Amino acid sequence: MDFSIRAANLDDCKDIARMIMELAEYEKLAEHVKVTQKDLEQDGFSKNPFFHGIIAEVPEQHKTKEGHTKIGYALYFYSYSSWSGRAIYMEDLYVMPEFRGTLALAAGCHQLDFTVLDWNKPSMDFYLSQGSFDITATMGYHCMRCEGEALEHLAQP
Amino acid sequence: MEYKLRKAEPRDVPDILRLVKELAKYEEMEHQVTLTEKELLEDGFGDTPFYHCIITEIQGEKSSEDPKVVGFAMYYFTYDPWVGKQLYLEEFYVMDEYRGLGIGSGILRHLSNLAMKTRCTGMMFVVAENNEPSVQFYKRRGAEDLSQEEGWRLFRFDKDSLVKMAAPSEE
Repeated sequence: MDFSIRAANLDDCKDIARMIMELAEYEKLAEHVKVTQKDLEQDGFSKNPFFHGIIAEVPEQHKTKEGHTKIGYALYFYSYSSWSGRAIYMEDLYVMPEFRGTLALAAGCHQLDFTVLDWNKPSMDFYLSQGSFDITATMGYHCMRCEGEALEHLAQP
Repeated sequence: MEYKLRKAEPRDVPDILRLVKELAKYEEMEHQVTLTEKELLEDGFGDTPFYHCIITEIQGEKSSEDPKVVGFAMYYFTYDPWVGKQLYLEEFYVMDEYRGLGIGSGILRHLSNLAMKTRCTGMMFVVAENNEPSVQFYKRRGAEDLSQEEGWRLFRFDKDSLVKMAAPSEE
């Protein structure tokens, strides 16, 4: 099947929002999604974007039964390793991964980081087979977050 | 002892690299730091900064002495498609002899304020699980361990793997 991979634009935000929700539903965590189509438009397509998007599209004759031709996306942003410099962080993936390596190298990055939920064995096995390694298992790195009241509390004098 | 927290400037790059290496040494991984002053300068102070940095400096005992950079934090903004902007804390370090003076808490307070001003819904970072003092420091302040509580595993493709993936597939 033919498909095209291209940079996301403002008009894609509706489909990106739809697919974010689909991916969250697959992870059984749909109630946690607060970002709206409007947030994506503002945060991804203004003068200083907070993320970049990639869309995978199929031709009209292969559209889904709901009529969608945009069948995958990836959200990424540039991050920075204090040890080795520029990096890319792949935030969400809902599409085939062949292009990811190409993009990271083209931007002068030395590594591509992302997270996988530990119960998602098919994904973990896939990424390991492609040559990635599990930093949490090998180096004991844990992802942590401070949010809501804890963050407000930290901000007080 | 008076200390001053300010935004890093290009002239601070040698001190930033020094502190990055000190922290890596503390984690017993000094040989992994391949970043150079030139890269830090280009990447942090060019047209598109890839990171931001705040530093803490202490005034020397004699007023003729230059202030000394004793702590820093390196951060950037990331995006969670469920809840929006996040402030990502990449590095955070205070020199050993200057700990226990509230410098670390001051840096975190500044960053939390910044996170709230820029409408970030959270501040994220990574900690090595065997770094007990740091894990406790963050948990005391309300941080959640997403790896433990939600099963998040951090994965990486290094440069060699990226090159292999980017190569055109054989027909």
